[in-house]
Amino acid sequence: MDRSLNLDRREFVKAASACSAVVSGLVLGVPAFGEQQERPAEVETNILDFMKVPKGKFALPGPFPGRVVKVTDPRSLAGDAVDAKVVRGMLERGLRKLTGDSMKKSFARLFTPDDVVGLKVNPVGAPLICTKPELVEAVIGWLVGGGIPKGNIVIWDRFDYMLKAAGFTAGRFPGVRIEGLQTMDEQGNAWRDAGGRHVSAANFDTEAYYFAKGVLGKGVRGYKDDESYLNQHVFAGEYSYFGKLVTRKLTKIVNLAAYKNTGNGISMATKNLGFGSICNTGRLHAPLFFRVNTEVLAAPWVRDKLVLNITDGLRGQYEDGPDKNEKFVYPNHALYLATDPFALDMVCHRELVAKRKAMGIAVNEHPKYTEYLFYGEKLGLGVATPEKITLVRA
Amino acid sequence: MRATVPAVLALLLAATVAAAGDDALLPPSGFAGGWTRDGQAKVFPASSLYNHIDGGAEIFLELGFEEATVQRYARAADEIVVECYRMRDAEAAQAIYLDKCGAETPSPGFGERHTAGRYQLLFVRDRYFVIVNNPPGTPAVAPVLVEFARAIAGRLAPGGNVRTFDVLPRAGIVPGSLRLIRGSVGLQEIATLGDGDILRLGGTLTAAAARYTGGATGDRTLVVVVYPSEAEAAAAFRHLADHLDPEIRLLTATERRLVFASYDGTFGVAARTGTRLELTLRLKAPLAPE
Repeated sequence: MDRSLNLDRREFVKAASACSAVVSGLVLGVPAFGEQQERPAEVETNILDFMKVPKGKFALPGPFPGRVVKVTDPRSLAGDAVDAKVVRGMLERGLRKLTGDSMKKSFARLFTPDDVVGLKVNPVGAPLICTKPELVEAVIGWLVGGGIPKGNIVIWDRFDYMLKAAGFTAGRFPGVRIEGLQTMDEQGNAWRDAGGRHVSAANFDTEAYYFAKGVLGKGVRGYKDDESYLNQHVFAGEYSYFGKLVTRKLTKIVNLAAYKNTGNGISMATKNLGFGSICNTGRLHAPLFFRVNTEVLAAPWVRDKLVLNITDGLRGQYEDGPDKNEKFVYPNHALYLATDPFALDMVCHRELVAKRKAMGIAVNEHPKYTEYLFYGEKLGLGVATPEKITLVRA
Repeated sequence: MRATVPAVLALLLAATVAAAGDDALLPPSGFAGGWTRDGQAKVFPASSLYNHIDGGAEIFLELGFEEATVQRYARAADEIVVECYRMRDAEAAQAIYLDKCGAETPSPGFGERHTAGRYQLLFVRDRYFVIVNNPPGTPAVAPVLVEFARAIAGRLAPGGNVRTFDVLPRAGIVPGSLRLIRGSVGLQEIATLGDGDILRLGGTLTAAAARYTGGATGDRTLVVVVYPSEAEAAAAFRHLADHLDPEIRLLTATERRLVFASYDGTFGVAARTGTRLELTLRLKAPLAPE
């Protein structure tokens, strides 16, 4: 069955406008005093191209749209230490609640033994607030138990050095592949090869991209020049290429985000993949930011492979994320599971807003901080309307 | 040829100094019972701050950031990482500190404004914002964070008083709510009033903000900017009026006063008097007309 969404351009613009972001540089005439302006036109992207591709068998939102399981166990953290055994138990309880099946049957619903599975972790903020290696070990144990060889499991993030810093090393995960989509030189110019290209350029698939018209990685604030931009982002044009790992090697993705804020929004499931699957993202922050979370997940290479999302909420960070700040990190003792990343993020967003308020923060609740989730619902990728979401506690 | 040697040496020296950043502020190897510098200090100018901070560099840049110097120290299996952020002025350093300190938990024996935990100690002095990290949170290392902070602070010039808060009334301020704002990133933390630099702060003018409780108007958030001239204040007010966020509903508008209903069910007032622009936000009910 073709489950693709038939949006025409007008409908799309309306949906994307609801997911409005800061767009600058358009002169709309001078209004009378106090006469509010309309929003500027939205940036044109290739979202319609993504939506034209018929959805695959495992496409978002997966078999459980709008269903989120929260597993809590206060024994999961003992001081700083994560109790791996307890986390394994939490994973099992969560999967059983999510699917209604045993671990073995849950595996069979989402994977086959010949899958190549990417585990997208979030290493930013390690060791205080990041995806915990103990959770990754538990997921690997489940996958291997289902028949996937360790060599067909890839722990993955955008930057190689961050994976290492967060403890995702060959020593800790023997037999499992650990891949950064790219390298980045913190200082200097070691990122260029003899031919003058970024050493990681070949890691990206120039036939698979997220396009944003007129949004260039040139003269982006915060970068000395286009050279320093290229160091971090590999390419600088209107195209953000997907990693070849995502487009050509992986057959399934398990999204293992951390539980934290970014400003008034969250940096969890959709952002972990939205900004973690492509390059050349620095250009996208100012004009598109959260919209990227939705549109990159709509791309067939992600949409049709992302079968499970587990947000690591053993610890949470309610302020000054996404990097660590001890003042705002707290034990949360929870894992959140869903096949639907939009429902998952909506649950976690609302929960984190409640936490922020409880901690005395005057939260800015502008609709733009969740509009991207409703946009995902409009595109048929998940459920964001709170009344349609079922939160199951285990 | 002979004349060029001093010039070359001077250039080399300049390059070394540039590469070293604020190295002179950092404790030497052997400090505090044998902490050794682990490699050279890494220096991140504004142009490459994103290489050091993945998520969250924007607020530094907006406030006025010059350079970060990052040095790792090792002692046996333990490690400490010092991050010295040199801001453009003391106001900017104060602003970034207030943004990150949360409810302060000071450590006895360290006199600078700071907050200390087991993993991190944050302090501000003059135009420097400094973080001393104990990355794994090793309990035995936590007391050493203060020693590092004290040593670094001792190498810094005394900071003058930041007077920007003087524009705010003192009565009723919610503790820990003071903020300094120089652009859209900082303002978004409080409210979304419109796209871009809606108050026309330009990264140089500083708004002071705080939450208040009690009083005749009840709980509210106040944001105050004093512009260099009345013309600039008028232009900023006009810009705000003309570019209010579409989610905000304007109730009344005059040349000097806007009353609006916000997206979160609260109300707000923007009022200009001379060079002063005052925003009163998060009101439970609209203020009566003047």
